[in-house]
Amino acid sequence: MSKAPANIVDRPLSKGKNEINISSFAFLFSEMIQYCQDRIKAGHELEKKLSDMGYSIGPRLLELLCVREKNSKRETKLLGILSFIHTTVWKSLFGKPADSLEKSTEADDEYMISDNNMVVNKFISLPKHLSSLNCAAFVAGIIEGILCSAEFPARVTAHNVAVEGKRFPKTVILIKFNPEVIERNA
Amino acid sequence: MTINSIYILNKAGTLIYQNDFGNTEKLSHNSYIRLGSTFHSLHAIASNLSPVSGSSSGIEVIETEAFKLQCFQTHTGIKFYVIADPNHQQLEELLHGVYELYTDYVLKNPFYEIEMQIRCDLFDYKLLRLLGVRE
Amino acid sequence: MSKKYDKLGNDVFNKVEKINSELFTLTYGALVTQLIKDYEDIEQVNIKLEQMGYNIGIRLIEEFLAKSGIGRCSDFIETAEVIAKVGFKMFLGINAHVGDWDADRKEFHLTIEDNPLIDFVELPEQYKHKLYYSNILCGVIRGALEMVQMKVKCTFVKCTLSDDTTSEIKVVLEEVLSDMIPVGYD
Repeated sequence: MSKAPANIVDRPLSKGKNEINISSFAFLFSEMIQYCQDRIKAGHELEKKLSDMGYSIGPRLLELLCVREKNSKRETKLLGILSFIHTTVWKSLFGKPADSLEKSTEADDEYMISDNNMVVNKFISLPKHLSSLNCAAFVAGIIEGILCSAEFPARVTAHNVAVEGKRFPKTVILIKFNPEVIERNA
Repeated sequence: MTINSIYILNKAGTLIYQNDFGNTEKLSHNSYIRLGSTFHSLHAIASNLSPVSGSSSGIEVIETEAFKLQCFQTHTGIKFYVIADPNHQQLEELLHGVYELYTDYVLKNPFYEIEMQIRCDLFDYKLLRLLGVRE
Repeated sequence: MSKKYDKLGNDVFNKVEKINSELFTLTYGALVTQLIKDYEDIEQVNIKLEQMGYNIGIRLIEEFLAKSGIGRCSDFIETAEVIAKVGFKMFLGINAHVGDWDADRKEFHLTIEDNPLIDFVELPEQYKHKLYYSNILCGVIRGALEMVQMKVKCTFVKCTLSDDTTSEIKVVLEEVLSDMIPVGYD
């Protein structure tokens, strides 16, 4: 049995290929949601709380993925960072790219990433009084954290959107960039 | 093969889930609760009837001309039972399938309070699919 | 006995749906940092992590039983092997080892290797030997065993994050809750 070097920075960076049972994540996430619920005063604060928890992950994940992708350079283009999130980030977190990336037809500063089977919601049924909640607010928080630390400040939220012919809605992550980002990119 | 009803009782013998399928006649909510706790008691009595102590697992199957009831009790004391056509041959597998759905779509749902009434859309949906495949 | 359960653990892990462990690792990290913020006192954080683990354990045991097909263990020695070889493998994809039994066979140590919870983690000096970062695992074991009528106490006795050479959980069987064994259960 080889001993890993004691100091974490002396160890090689993990390749990110280890897998665990999806249930372990689901149980942890469920417990985290219950913890958040216990610490808020009103139902609508739950999304904010989940988003805040995700936010702290964003910068760490961005750094990790940039170091791991050998020839990655810092994204400076709006579409570049969006496609990085839609593909690289999604693959590393959920094992597949998101289903779509679209620009909003209603607002110039809004983009939408859709996922028809959001992993974090796989086992979650919403109670009647919280039917508009989407626990992927946690993922939205991660994305917001990534965007802000990559100098694309934005407000990111998660929504349930009904799909024709499907019993359960899909998740749409709505990204609304700050005005300076849009101006810079114009 | 018709499946009429599925019941789930918690450790204390309280009904936490019940659903009827097909043309099964519906009863009042209280009747289901009463049926559940009656079954729980019968199961306990049956297990004490064994002449050799500790050797009976309680009621596993009740067979009649009109229906068959199959029960599965987990190591933790939850009971799943199904009422079906008397000729149905795969009720044990079916109950195990329901148990697995329970572990996924009930117990991993942050809005489900343990031991309480099950109200989870995804569980209902997956259960119907499970029955659909086997019917 | 150990070999048989090694194989079962592998078989079950191969069968379950899996995801990349990093989502799990990062989520747990976000939870621990949030608890440190919310509680300030590190001992309270250890307690809360254990409680959250307990809540997970009382639910997780059902999946463990349903998907591993394991029946009642004949004694605590067998229980220990099942936890180490099937439980840890099935949920985290890792190996744990049982050792250091006491004379009465009511107490053992569980040594954990490659714990995915601590990937990327380095404890600041002031938290070493104070914060039991993976304390949630102690709670999971306690909760799961209580549901199969064993009252145990679990504590971290060594942790690589606090510069120990291994990570070890001590498990002590306090009582078998015979009254709680389901009626009609052989």
